Amino acid sequence: MASVTFSNVEKSFGSTKVIHGIGFDIRDGEFMVLVGPSGCGKSTLLRMLAGLEEISAGTIAIDGRVVNDVESKDRDIAMVFQSYALYPHMTVADNMAFSLKLRKAQAKVIQERMSRAAKILNLEPYLARYPRELSGGQRQRVAMGRAIVRDPKVFLFDEPLSNLDAKLRVAMRAEIKALHQRLKTTTVYVTRDQVEAMTMADRIVVMHDGRVEQIGTPLDLYDHPGNLFVAQFIGSPAMNVVEGTIKRENGTGHVLSHSGVRWPLGAAAGAEGQSVAYGIRPEHLSLTDAKAPAAVPAEITVVEPTGAETELLLQAGEAQIVLVTHGRPQVNPGDRVGLAVEPAMVHVFDQKTGQRLAA
Amino acid sequence: MKPISLRTVTTEAKLLLIGIPVLVWTLLPVYNLFLFSISPKESAFAGNLWPDHPTLHNFAVVFGEKHYYLSHFWLQLWNSLLIAVTVGVLTLIVATCAAFAISRLKVKGGRAVMNLALFTYFIPAAFLAVPMYKTMGNYGLLNNQWALILAMLTIAAPYSIWVLKQASDKLPYELDEAAKMDGASPLQLFRLVYLPLMTPSLVAIGTYALLLAWNEYLYAFLLLSNDRQITLGVALGNFLAADDSPWELLMATGLIYALPPAAIYYVFKRYMVGGLTAGAVKS
Repeated sequence: MASVTFSNVEKSFGSTKVIHGIGFDIRDGEFMVLVGPSGCGKSTLLRMLAGLEEISAGTIAIDGRVVNDVESKDRDIAMVFQSYALYPHMTVADNMAFSLKLRKAQAKVIQERMSRAAKILNLEPYLARYPRELSGGQRQRVAMGRAIVRDPKVFLFDEPLSNLDAKLRVAMRAEIKALHQRLKTTTVYVTRDQVEAMTMADRIVVMHDGRVEQIGTPLDLYDHPGNLFVAQFIGSPAMNVVEGTIKRENGTGHVLSHSGVRWPLGAAAGAEGQSVAYGIRPEHLSLTDAKAPAAVPAEITVVEPTGAETELLLQAGEAQIVLVTHGRPQVNPGDRVGLAVEPAMVHVFDQKTGQRLAA
Repeated sequence: MKPISLRTVTTEAKLLLIGIPVLVWTLLPVYNLFLFSISPKESAFAGNLWPDHPTLHNFAVVFGEKHYYLSHFWLQLWNSLLIAVTVGVLTLIVATCAAFAISRLKVKGGRAVMNLALFTYFIPAAFLAVPMYKTMGNYGLLNNQWALILAMLTIAAPYSIWVLKQASDKLPYELDEAAKMDGASPLQLFRLVYLPLMTPSLVAIGTYALLLAWNEYLYAFLLLSNDRQITLGVALGNFLAADDSPWELLMATGLIYALPPAAIYYVFKRYMVGGLTAGAVKS
């Protein structure tokens, strides 16, 4: 087990800079998820930690030891690849034992560690099989087994679930999390799926365009997104955002959207006349009478019942709004309704910088 | 039974119309070879479709080295085999290492090597026969079997490198990265991961080089002259030096000479299958 420290890490491919000075710490035993859209640099960052990419500038340290010039195999880390990367000509057992054999471990040790890993991952019936004879989920488990037998300081996962179908993905998600709780090995997990990030992480690093947007626990990011990008990236369905101008009168305030809709501001920060992006999550909106005070007038365009909850698409002025409710409201497309906003749940961001306005 | 449509019939007919002439065209010379080899000397040129008195006498003469032209038959057959196998093995070593270095280790200048390899095929091998003869002379290798082995290696290697490089490019690169993280050195990667996965291509290329050397006449004729050094192919050519060539023996020897390649092809064909990398990565 070990901590990992990134300090001012940069990466350039030729003259193109893809990582712009990233620095953060991963604590011993922590499950850290790097999340961001495609091309944000999260995989590159992981590969730099793995030793598969050169570090252009800055340092990466594992357990306090700078590893910039240390070969992958001497970093004491193990990686699970998106494509599994199993050796097709070796059995499951040989795949898992490969790294130990290369290290000239004793046969007894190899056998011991392999049976332990096979037991943890329920791979015991498949040890003599070849990867081509396994299902996607089983291959994924073999890839994890290959990492476990090494008993490394840090586990690296590079989008390990993106090749699995939706149902299996949910199951494997839970398995990986259970595995971490059992082994308590420091884990760095890369994904572009924010649901994976939210459900698995101890802490999340949200990346965008080669920069860190925000670091925090899942709920911290959800409740207090530091900027507009994080606000819209974390959460599904995404946060509603309306652009407008802050108007304050007699102690209360609202944001006046470009088409003249008044969105109640509550206690949120922001100066009179400031151009802002007004954010409210779909579950913090509710339906009310169109004539109620402070109700935001809107027209229902789509009703999507999912059983447990109902998702409504609404048009409020120029803005497309999503509302999620646990009830089963008796509404139809075309109905004119009012939206009630929970004022405490409003997020306000500076329109130019995208930064959250401190309350 | 499924009714056969007119369309199926015409398609079949068209295929047969092309197939039968091609089959006859291909088999006729082979049949002629066979016919000569089982005919007695007197009736070899009789022009019959089947000899009146078929005999295996010609083969007995060949195997017993009982003719002037055949006095070193077994040695020459051995020479052919030795040279062909050596060329096959050496080509494999050179081409596999080159392909691994260029495709997997991504050494600098790899592209240039690939382009040069392709470029060598702009020049027909026959054009290079005389320069090659002179070069081997400079090295003092004339009439040494190494001259032929090296010459054939030179001819076979570029194509082999090209083919193996293309095949290596198809292996998923994640495997190399996984092996690297597992602690494999480049040599271990080569031995434990790369070679096993390349086996089908290696068999194909080895067979190609082996057969190329086995069938080579021009370079073998140029670079070797001593009766104890030449290959059987050159020895066959020597049959034609006399006015009254023993055709029936020439054909019998020719038939024997043609059998090993056919055997090699059928033995190795089953190794030349794809699908070995199935299950490596999600595709």
